Amino acid sequence: MGAYRADDDYDYLFKVVLIGDSGVGKSNLLSRFSRNEFSLESKSTIGVEFATRSIHVEDKVVKAQIWDTAGQERYRAITSAYYRGAVGALLVYDVTRHVTFENVERWLKELRDHTDSNIVIMLVGNKADLRHLRAVSTEDAKAFAEKESTFFMETSALESMNVENAFTEVLTQIYRVVSKKALEAGDDPAALPKGQTINVGSKDDVSAVKKVGCCSS
Amino acid sequence: MELEGILASENTSLRCFVWLIVRDGCLQKKLKEKGSATLFKGNYLFVETYLGYAPPNSDRREGVLRRKRLDYLDCVAQYYDIQDIERTDEEINMLRQIAVDCPRTVPDVSFFQQAQVQKSLERILYIWAIRHPASGYVQGINDLATPFLVVFLSEHVEGSIDNWMMSDLPSEKISGIEADCYWCLSKLLDGMQDHYTFAQPGIQRLVFKLKELVRRIDEPVSTHMEEQGLEFLQFAFRWFNCLLIREIPFHLVTRLWDTYLAEGDALPDFLVYIAASFLLTWSDNLLKLDFQEMVMFLQHLPTHNWSHSELEMVLSRAYMWHAMFNSSPSHLAS
Repeated sequence: MGAYRADDDYDYLFKVVLIGDSGVGKSNLLSRFSRNEFSLESKSTIGVEFATRSIHVEDKVVKAQIWDTAGQERYRAITSAYYRGAVGALLVYDVTRHVTFENVERWLKELRDHTDSNIVIMLVGNKADLRHLRAVSTEDAKAFAEKESTFFMETSALESMNVENAFTEVLTQIYRVVSKKALEAGDDPAALPKGQTINVGSKDDVSAVKKVGCCSS
Repeated sequence: MELEGILASENTSLRCFVWLIVRDGCLQKKLKEKGSATLFKGNYLFVETYLGYAPPNSDRREGVLRRKRLDYLDCVAQYYDIQDIERTDEEINMLRQIAVDCPRTVPDVSFFQQAQVQKSLERILYIWAIRHPASGYVQGINDLATPFLVVFLSEHVEGSIDNWMMSDLPSEKISGIEADCYWCLSKLLDGMQDHYTFAQPGIQRLVFKLKELVRRIDEPVSTHMEEQGLEFLQFAFRWFNCLLIREIPFHLVTRLWDTYLAEGDALPDFLVYIAASFLLTWSDNLLKLDFQEMVMFLQHLPTHNWSHSELEMVLSRAYMWHAMFNSSPSHLAS
């Protein structure tokens, strides 16, 4: 079981969700980030799956608890329950399938309906390695991201391109929101108890996260 | 030799003889008690009979089979072999979803990577979805069709599945197999329609029952999971959605399907017991894990080296618990 034992020495725990249409590569982005693995033979995700990884942001250890969701509409009722308490989201589309980009707007609405307005969102155009099959231009996606005030990055889970950057950027931005909030509130962010789950939103969401065991320390 | 021993044996002619008895219903009850429609791998007549769509009488059976197959082929012509312009947006979406999922169905078995296999699967799933509009296609149903495909194909191809070539078969054989798969899949899912409708209430119900049952059987594990904040939905949803097919190696799946088919309409009830037995196989491990470790562990259970004996253990324990609890529901009341 040693393989599953995670390093629990962290300063912050952030809950992040991965959403987007079916088959855009969410699970592979997650396995690339959390285990540095990629599989051409991956199965569809049913319901939700989960992984974690800790990174350093400035002098702090930030642990990301990432929920990877099924892309099919039918699972929305199940998966949207996992949006609660999320402080970050990667909204993924496939640069080779335009329809997955068209659906980004629906996903964004879904996300904003279920999460706090301060949530850090990054639009992610995955499969950027398939240059000859590209169907969504970088400019279009960038323009959309600007209009919707989300971050934006193109990635390739296969080539390991920008995956690390995308997650790190989201976690860093969350960290900034959180430390800024803490400063505004007159708290010293470093004085927060170890392992405290940070929520950029309303207080009651903290208990929701607590319920799933993130604050057990 | 006991009849059941013969059924499980490798002696084909004996098995065929016993099969005749079974087919006439003498043994059905007994087999059901044993928890297995075992083990006529490849004898699709048996599966059909068990699923109740082909009558046991051989003359009538031929007629019914022919009609059912034609019915399926008509559907393919009417709904599948048409231009997108004739489809609704919803149908286009559904077909697209199926096309995304077929190449990722049992990706670890190379047989399923053959283009013709994936096309067959796509047709079966699309026709099923069109004819079940309340649910439509739901991811995971693709997995459920695969054991039928393997069992029916094994009638026509030799050797190990790794060497099977769909292109070796004439197209009318393939259509027949496809049709049989379609009807068997339909029959299997008939009793579980609300597992795949909006918000999947049938699955939510089973997850709830599983939680109650585990509390009853293994209080320490149940308490530990609760203290850690682990919710059953976080792992058992996939178990029920895909009838555990994702959790065990593919070569064991036909054995599991044997049990499912033997249960017939009582399957959803029994699934809860199988899931409990499966979960509590790792009772000792679970007690040592925290929330996060448990989620990860349960997502990737160490079953890749499993043989029939581990699965038999899960199933027989499920039978035992089912016998203990199911007829006395007040035992489950908290």
